[in-house]
Amino acid sequence: MLQTFQPRGLALDTLLRLPAALRVRAFATAAPSPSPTSAQSPIPPPWRPSTVLDEWVGREARPISLRQLTFFGRSLTESRLLGSANYVRLELPTRIAHRLRNMQTLPYSALTNQHISHVYELYYTAFERLRKVPEVRTMNDNDKFCDVLKMCLKEHLSVIPRLAMGILEIQDSVSGDECDRFMTTLLRSRISRRVIAEQHLALTETFHSPWHFDGKKSHMSPDDEFVGEIFLKCNAKEIIEQCAKTASELTAKAYGPDVAIPKIVLQGHLDTTFPYIPSHLEYIIGELFRNSIQAVVEQEGSAKPPPIEVLVCEAAQHVIIRVSDQGGGIDRDILPYLWSFAKGPRRKKRLQNLGQVPQLAATMQELQLPPSDPDVVGATGEKFGSPLATLSSRPPDLRIGIGLPMSRIYAEYWAGSLELHSLEGYGCDAFLQISRLGNRNEVLSTRATMDAV
Amino acid sequence: MLSLRAAARNNGSPVSLTRHIRPVTRPIHTKTVTDADIARLAAKPLHPLTLADLCKHGHPPLSEQALFNSANFTLAILPSRLAHRIQSLRALPYIVVANPNVSKIHDNYVHSLSTLLPIAERKIESLKDEVEFTAVMADLVQTHSNTISILARGFLEARKYISKVEVTRFLDEHLRARIGTRLIAEQHIALHFSSKPHQKLSDGHDDDKMDHDSYIGVIDTELKPANIIRNCEQTVGEICELKYGVRPTIDIVGSPETTIAHIPMHLEYILTELLKNSFRAVIEAGTEKEAIEITIAPAPASPEETKETKNKAGQMAHAEVGAISNYDQGSVDYASGSNKPDISASANIRPLREATPGVTVRIRDRGGGITPENYEKLWEYGFTTFNEDEINEKVSGSGGGGGGLDVMSGGPAGGSSLAGLGYGLPLGRAYAEYFGGGIAVQSLHGWGTDVYLSLRGVGKVD
Repeated sequence: MLQTFQPRGLALDTLLRLPAALRVRAFATAAPSPSPTSAQSPIPPPWRPSTVLDEWVGREARPISLRQLTFFGRSLTESRLLGSANYVRLELPTRIAHRLRNMQTLPYSALTNQHISHVYELYYTAFERLRKVPEVRTMNDNDKFCDVLKMCLKEHLSVIPRLAMGILEIQDSVSGDECDRFMTTLLRSRISRRVIAEQHLALTETFHSPWHFDGKKSHMSPDDEFVGEIFLKCNAKEIIEQCAKTASELTAKAYGPDVAIPKIVLQGHLDTTFPYIPSHLEYIIGELFRNSIQAVVEQEGSAKPPPIEVLVCEAAQHVIIRVSDQGGGIDRDILPYLWSFAKGPRRKKRLQNLGQVPQLAATMQELQLPPSDPDVVGATGEKFGSPLATLSSRPPDLRIGIGLPMSRIYAEYWAGSLELHSLEGYGCDAFLQISRLGNRNEVLSTRATMDAV
Repeated sequence: MLSLRAAARNNGSPVSLTRHIRPVTRPIHTKTVTDADIARLAAKPLHPLTLADLCKHGHPPLSEQALFNSANFTLAILPSRLAHRIQSLRALPYIVVANPNVSKIHDNYVHSLSTLLPIAERKIESLKDEVEFTAVMADLVQTHSNTISILARGFLEARKYISKVEVTRFLDEHLRARIGTRLIAEQHIALHFSSKPHQKLSDGHDDDKMDHDSYIGVIDTELKPANIIRNCEQTVGEICELKYGVRPTIDIVGSPETTIAHIPMHLEYILTELLKNSFRAVIEAGTEKEAIEITIAPAPASPEETKETKNKAGQMAHAEVGAISNYDQGSVDYASGSNKPDISASANIRPLREATPGVTVRIRDRGGGITPENYEKLWEYGFTTFNEDEINEKVSGSGGGGGGLDVMSGGPAGGSSLAGLGYGLPLGRAYAEYFGGGIAVQSLHGWGTDVYLSLRGVGKVD
């Protein structure tokens, strides 16, 4: 297939002639390896010439913002769509190249870890595939390009759990802080790439839809709620209620009918709306609710558990959502590790639990994802395969310990923040701050730093 | 010059601890402090104090020998602490120290050191010596009671010559060290008054309330935060009624009957400051009818510190192994940049190893929150919303119309008014953090503010 280098060593030669998908699996030491070399010791990823990568690493990524994405999608013409396709065609490999370089500079012992190298291979495959896409000149070209994009998105569903497991396993060779930095950079970049890709796919779909009239500006009237993936009028109340319902049902299923699930009570400025990507918001709030409900349920259960109070507060530039529970607060011994991917005392348990998630994600490629309720506005995440939905639907006793750090990365990605205050022995207050991007005050320089190149 | 000042100082002061000192029949001896003295004392590493040190002399009422031990111990560690303060003041830019207010504080420290040096030459082995020593301690406490307001004024006047960052750095260190120094002195004074020799001397005329069983010096082992909250609610409420005509109320939820071992003066200062903020906010937002909700949450008993947290603390704070730094105490104020590890390891008094569980107090008001611009400056010393003219007015002391909540006589923070000079929050946090607690402020701009005060019990004593 892709033979543009001089292979070293006989075994590698054979391996590399395999098609990409098989190659990936061959390197995962979890699967039986066809290579004559021992499957016990970590198999390093194959050597590739670094000149190709160097060229792409040398390019700067162009930052994106919700406002730009919205504005761009408002008046869609064929030429604009093709322009978008070419932007995506160049942006994605650039960003992946930077991440590959990051991974290559990890210590050898870290990169050869089975999980990390699996992810590395996935990335490299995607890179190779994307960088070879020729310039998009016609709608036909665009359609072919979109197929490539969809394939990439689907293949990368298992990245998050694999990475998390890898991080936990390489604690001996890489410090906790460095792991966190590495993981954060990777995840932020991943969010950017997926948003860019998904946005383009959504715009293409809109363009092809029977209600679209080329060039007519009014097709995107101000009442239209969606611009690609972005839901302009995320209503806090609706999303919170939906997440509350899902989280409660999940917990009820897991703990059985005898356990009383705490109610979730709302107050504050409930009519607030703001532009956001619904799947992200659902993930964050879902995680917070799961944590709170679980904490309350696992306390010495009473027949009437204290309710979880949610407050929505609207200001000119922010919307703040506060989730207050009386679940007993956070244990002192895990408090320092709350926001870290490199867990402390609970490492072993987390590792075990994580091992059960990739199976979930891997099978998603074949299984149909559970269809989201079409009546609920805002549930669009499942269109192109949502890794977040996978994680959100895991059973509650599967504690993998990445909910908070992940949620924080998502929150900060759109210039927001996530903060937690624990009243030890009593409960927790979580504060999710959402910036009302799309207003005039958004500064592009923040985007540049967020959009980790 | 020094001894004249010393003589003039002991007027009947309102500070409760000194009122029982009979007028000294001879002036307090002083000895001139030379630069060599200061250098010698400051070169000594600061003894890493623990509260066990303060409580190790026994449960009151102390016997004569125990009292001497306490005096000698205090005498051994105070001079070097004072010397460190003097040195750190002298490290400030000349033009700042030349300011009359700052220079006064510098002189105060030198004076206090001068009163200690003659006594430090010998051990305390007689009751007469011990009484003299206690008088010196009282003089120390009295002299320095106004330090903060005077320093604040000084820095305000000299603000053109020193950056905010430097002021913050200096004050963070200085005020924390000051808390410790005063604590050592006040502890000895309190132990003196509750001791057996003193009871004999005063023939039972002394009906000071220092004979509570729960007190060890200034530490109340059965302090009920709910009581302090109600007291502060009264005090601050009265002033609000006077100035604004309305009085906000407080609702205490959670576990109001919780008690911890802590220092009442400190807690009172912190809560007064926090309530001042909340009360004023709700009044100005017009929501004073809605009660401010205060949740008292006792932390469960702490298990033995795990090896992992010790390692993590070691990694992060470079403290000695087993040292309790502010990081591993589940302090709410985890992200506070003021918890500089090297400071906490040396100048602060560390809580006992088997610390009794602490308590978290959450104050929730609907006062409209803090604007993002103000939020950035929350922890700055001297952050005010006043313009240049109002600052000048304050500095010249003619701001009589300040009144209201600006004029509050703070207890340990120092005598007269802090006159709204913006020291309340950072100082409150210094007190909270002193034993491993903290203050975190979360603003919901457009709705209200949540303040999380976490207090670590000062420790089990047998």
